[in-house]
Amino acid sequence: MSLFLIAALPFLGALLPGLLIRAGRDACAIVTGSVTLLALIGLGVNAPAVLRGEIVTARIDWIPGLGLNANFFLDGLGLLFAGMILGIGLLVIIYARYYLSRNDAMGRFYTFLLLFQGAMVGIVLSDNVLMLLVFWELTSLSSFLLIGYWNHLPEGRQGARMALAVTGAGGLALIGGMLMLGNIVGSYDLSVILESKDVIQSSPLYLPALILILLGCFTKSAQFPFHFWLPHAMAAPTPVSAYLHSATMVKAGLFLMARMWPVLSGTEAWFYIVATTGLITMVVGAVIALFKDDLKGLLAFSTVSHLGLITMLLGFGTPIAAVAAVFHIINHATFKAALFMTAGIIDHGAHTRDIKRLGGLRTLMPVTFVIATVASLSMAGIPPLNGFLSKEMMLEEAAHTVWAGSHWLLPVLACLGALFSAAYSFRYISHVFLGPKREDYPATPHDPGIGMWIAPGLLVVLAILIGLFPKTIVGTLVAIASGSVIGGDLPYYSLKLWHGVNPALIMSGIAVAGGLVLLWLHGSLDKLWNALPRPEAKRIFDIVISGLTTLARFFTERTHNGSFARYAAIFFVFVFGLGYYAYQSGTMVAADRTMLDASPVAIAGWVCLIVSTLCVVTFHRNRLLALVLIGVTGLIVSMSFNYLSAPDLALTQISVEAVTIILLLLALNLMPKETPVELRSGRKLRDAVLSIGGGLGVGALIYAMMMRDLVQPSISEFHIANSYSGGGGTNVVNVILVDFRGFDTFGEIIVLGIAAIVIYALTESILSTGIRGQLLNRKPDFPIAGDAHPMMMVVATRVMMPIALMVAAYIFFRGHNLPGGGFIAGLIAAIALIMQYMASGFSWASARQRFPYHGIIGAGVLVAALTGMGAWLNEMPFLTSAFSYVYLPGLHKFELATAALFDLGVFLAVFGAVLLALESLSRYAWQPDDATEHAMDINPARDTAVVEEGK
Amino acid sequence: MLSENLTIVLPELLLAGYAMAALMFGVFMGKDRQAELILYGTVVVLAVLALMIGVRPEGTHVAFNGAFVDDGFSRFAKVTLLLGSAVMLLLSREYLKRHDLMKFEFPVLIALASVGMMMMVSAGDLMSLYMGLELQSLALYVVAAFRRDSLRSTEAGLKYFVLGALSSGLLLYGASFVYGYTGTTVFSGISAVIVEEGVSMGLLIGLVFMTTGLAFKISAAPFHMWTPDVYEGSPTPVTAFFATAPKVAAAGMFARVMLDGFGGAVADWQQILTFLAILSMFIGSIAAIGQTNIKRLMAYSSIGHMGFALVGLAAGTQAGVAALLIYLAVYVVMNVGTFTFILNMERDGRPITDISALNQYSSVAPGRAFALAILMFSLAGIPPMLGFFSKYYVFSAAVDAGLIWLAVLGVVASVIGAFYYLRIIKLMYFGEEVDPLTGRMPVTHRVALALSSAALLLGAFVQMFGVEALATQAAASLFN
Repeated sequence: MSLFLIAALPFLGALLPGLLIRAGRDACAIVTGSVTLLALIGLGVNAPAVLRGEIVTARIDWIPGLGLNANFFLDGLGLLFAGMILGIGLLVIIYARYYLSRNDAMGRFYTFLLLFQGAMVGIVLSDNVLMLLVFWELTSLSSFLLIGYWNHLPEGRQGARMALAVTGAGGLALIGGMLMLGNIVGSYDLSVILESKDVIQSSPLYLPALILILLGCFTKSAQFPFHFWLPHAMAAPTPVSAYLHSATMVKAGLFLMARMWPVLSGTEAWFYIVATTGLITMVVGAVIALFKDDLKGLLAFSTVSHLGLITMLLGFGTPIAAVAAVFHIINHATFKAALFMTAGIIDHGAHTRDIKRLGGLRTLMPVTFVIATVASLSMAGIPPLNGFLSKEMMLEEAAHTVWAGSHWLLPVLACLGALFSAAYSFRYISHVFLGPKREDYPATPHDPGIGMWIAPGLLVVLAILIGLFPKTIVGTLVAIASGSVIGGDLPYYSLKLWHGVNPALIMSGIAVAGGLVLLWLHGSLDKLWNALPRPEAKRIFDIVISGLTTLARFFTERTHNGSFARYAAIFFVFVFGLGYYAYQSGTMVAADRTMLDASPVAIAGWVCLIVSTLCVVTFHRNRLLALVLIGVTGLIVSMSFNYLSAPDLALTQISVEAVTIILLLLALNLMPKETPVELRSGRKLRDAVLSIGGGLGVGALIYAMMMRDLVQPSISEFHIANSYSGGGGTNVVNVILVDFRGFDTFGEIIVLGIAAIVIYALTESILSTGIRGQLLNRKPDFPIAGDAHPMMMVVATRVMMPIALMVAAYIFFRGHNLPGGGFIAGLIAAIALIMQYMASGFSWASARQRFPYHGIIGAGVLVAALTGMGAWLNEMPFLTSAFSYVYLPGLHKFELATAALFDLGVFLAVFGAVLLALESLSRYAWQPDDATEHAMDINPARDTAVVEEGK
Repeated sequence: MLSENLTIVLPELLLAGYAMAALMFGVFMGKDRQAELILYGTVVVLAVLALMIGVRPEGTHVAFNGAFVDDGFSRFAKVTLLLGSAVMLLLSREYLKRHDLMKFEFPVLIALASVGMMMMVSAGDLMSLYMGLELQSLALYVVAAFRRDSLRSTEAGLKYFVLGALSSGLLLYGASFVYGYTGTTVFSGISAVIVEEGVSMGLLIGLVFMTTGLAFKISAAPFHMWTPDVYEGSPTPVTAFFATAPKVAAAGMFARVMLDGFGGAVADWQQILTFLAILSMFIGSIAAIGQTNIKRLMAYSSIGHMGFALVGLAAGTQAGVAALLIYLAVYVVMNVGTFTFILNMERDGRPITDISALNQYSSVAPGRAFALAILMFSLAGIPPMLGFFSKYYVFSAAVDAGLIWLAVLGVVASVIGAFYYLRIIKLMYFGEEVDPLTGRMPVTHRVALALSSAALLLGAFVQMFGVEALATQAAASLFN
């Protein structure tokens, strides 16, 4: 059968249990079992070839762009693990059929189980690192589903949470490590990587890759200091514990270490990291296991300890140790799965797993007693069981391995681990089954039906058989699997019970004897153990997690507190930083311009500008004063434009200034006199530093730019050269606006008009709500002047109006050749009218308005558009300008350009837009009932008239 | 000439025309009574345009003297963002209706933003770039503050607007430097000057300021400050929209500016992008840990993801751009799925955004919980979800470009980031019992959630639906 099919079968089969659950629990279990059996048969078909030493492969391109091929290969190691996964899987499926109660959703359980099985088979068969990672994470995924299956139990959730965090993080580390490995070798195919030992070990990335990969393995296989999650995950249903936490998932880490053994092992780093971790895990796990009162807790820590043992063997890096590791993997899987199942049976029968509440089950559950005893003795390493054989090999290896120059450290600690291991194994027998029968079992213990004990029964039979005839039963498998771990010739070893009296046997003897002593002393030791302070891994885990969260919160709340000012400050700091970086690292040609001489006038203006700016900052809380100072600043800026030969700009600026100030005055009318105090001095300092820094930075930048000639020829040359010949005007700025960039200007006046109309529309809709009343009833901060329309101002504005309009006309007409133009003229004309509003009030002014401003805007846009379209009559593109000279009697010749007509459109649009906007805005402050009794026209007799009426 | 140009910009013209017509239709035909009709209309138009762009002739077409480029890259980005917009708009219908936000301006604004986004990814000139960017941004400012009666929403919109205006200003400031030191605004011209004369200080300043402006738009740290506030404050459909299409557009534009305009100065911008990428990845990952609001969490998540996407861009190679495009496509799918879920987080008709409300969600709605779990695994970058592969593409592009440490830091950041995604799964499956969420899920949402999670779970097994090949082609069009 193709390897694809073997890997795919569990996944495909995962659909069946969910579908067949309606057909009954048996059908469901049978179909699940047959899927696994089928895969197992498929494996069996391929087994002879593998046992002959061949490697079965199956290749297919998956995502070639990523170097990701769906390649599978089956060698000895793969065969061993796949056989274990499927074989024990089959037994667990049978066991679970009887273990799960009627209330449990069995279909879901089997689906998850098959998913998990498929992922595990995928891991051991993958020939591509990336695919291996995919399956690796899939096991995590499906294991959460299995662990969380009984999610109504709080401790189950707690355990699953920790498992998720630890193995999840480890998995990501593994991804990093594997990607590094792939990067070193240049391929992600395992078969290639396994050939590249020298390249990998000489690479500078070897150590980081090794550490990351080992992190993945250690977390998955619950090695110290990550061992704490495994016991907590034991709240899962027992079939899950038996399958995931003893036979398969936790062995995935071991598998990967074994898989990578040929290329990663043999270095000092490997030895000290792996062997030491394994050793510590073995001893620590064994010690804790002895004092666990929960049956599954005991088994969980014993699993941790045995995994440590295997890790240590792999860490030794010698071929013979690798053989021992492989052998122990087989043995551990047999007896530990059996033990988990017996724990489940006891739980099932006695309704408790607490050792303190058990004892004397020997006669009540004889079958279970026999199975558990054999399995425990194997775990304790008692001949002639299989556990004894591999433990002997381990002790033999440990006896002559030197750790950091010390000859005795490793043997002693290994012996200690074995001793504790024997002790908890004996405890499992004696405290559960031996001793007097008790009266207070939560339920009457009884042996289950054959369906539940057949699976562990088969496993212990296997344990005995392997112990008695190791060579016959597993000899070839061990040889072939170790062969693919070692990747070379097998060392000499012999699998048999009796090796004669050697150091290992003596150590074994000490361990068993010591174990018995410990069991005898258990009562008092237990008290001592409970009295000892010891770090609770779960608490540490929780503290680390909450510490991390607090840290993250602290960081976030400091930077991200919702304050806009802070955001802007951070924004600016980084902008300055980046700007400075660019300024520093960029290359510049030497400055080749000289500075202009500073005239006294310019210096005086500059001082005024600085002082007024400083004053704005200082007095900004007084709104009116600030506005006056802003006006001063604006004026000086316009003057400096003029000083620097930009009269058009100066004119525009000054008229815009005037309009803006009027607008702001309108707004002030509605606002309190002073702004509220918002800043603390610390923030003021920060803002001051930032703004001064920003100013200096931009200043420096401008200075650097201005001191050098432009790199590229300026576009001004073109405009100056073509302004008269092409546009018929000598004022380049105006020609640009109405001719060269006429289209642009056309767009702009439309936008301006739309903006004004939007302001109008918004005002309308706002004033039609309740806000109107609030505006009318507001109480100003300071008393309103008694005379709303001062005579002086009324007179002055009346006089000014024709003059201003005249100026506007003048500016408009000279625009094409001298500074001026429609835009500026529009603003000036608008100012002339606004003055009337200011002097005499809204009611008076609007009563005298003939044309609606909307119409004026529309007319402006229309005039401009028609002018542009006029060009079409001459078969020219839109807005092509034309001009000619006109001679009228009594006048000099003058020039008439279509651009002037276009400028008229600009004038009208600007004029209308400004007035419409200001008129709309002024309506917010308009109090129709107030101060309108006088006609606002100049009538010197009005007060006397009132007085006379009063009479 | 003009008609040729117009043919090239036809999709944009159609959408702009549609948006204006829909606006007029809405205004004159009874406003919000037509909102649903306009919404469906917009969805259809966006989807049809995506289809139309998808089948447009291959090759590079340039319109308006280089200001507008229609090439494989822009087509890929446009299809992604149009589909993203269409799906999010369709999915927002229920929420808008339920929370009394069904205003006809909403779909119109989305359509306008889409026009802007299409311009952004097609811009071949600083001016068209700015036009597209502003059109998109203005629409987004408005939708961010769409819930006008909510203080949070308006505050978020205002912050976004002010900071956005600031960043636009910076972008323009930078662009003016670039113009001043190259004498042109067309990308090809800029890159020609760089090849000829190298990068002067003025140009570098221009580059830096433009980069900060662009970084703001994709919410890369340290210019990300607006993101969490806007994500949290805006109505959820708006947040969902923010998290999808605009990110694609901004990142696509970013790539084009850098590679088309500053392709000769890779070494100069690589450092800046590396800096932005590292900061985004770490800030996104670390700050997300402390969040209790799922929308805020997704905001930080998007910051982090933009950091990962920038890793691809920082590589400055064709593979890097392909990785960026793949990353964006997968990112959109992940966000569509996740936000479909968030849109339905309700208890008794009130929207809930507390992460703690997801406690034990797996027992309330196992199917939805499973789908969200897949989405979270994918966001965390755990295989075999597509999220892993898209991350893998960017990291391997970075490694191939010699940015090994950037890739290593990226892996570290994704490990940190995995923490908060896994926490959601943890809560759903192993959390404490709380009041369950009661939101009903309309059929469209079920379909969207199921499809997106299925795509992420199975995508890797079907050649990523061909996205990889398309992205590679699209990236190639930036490199010839």
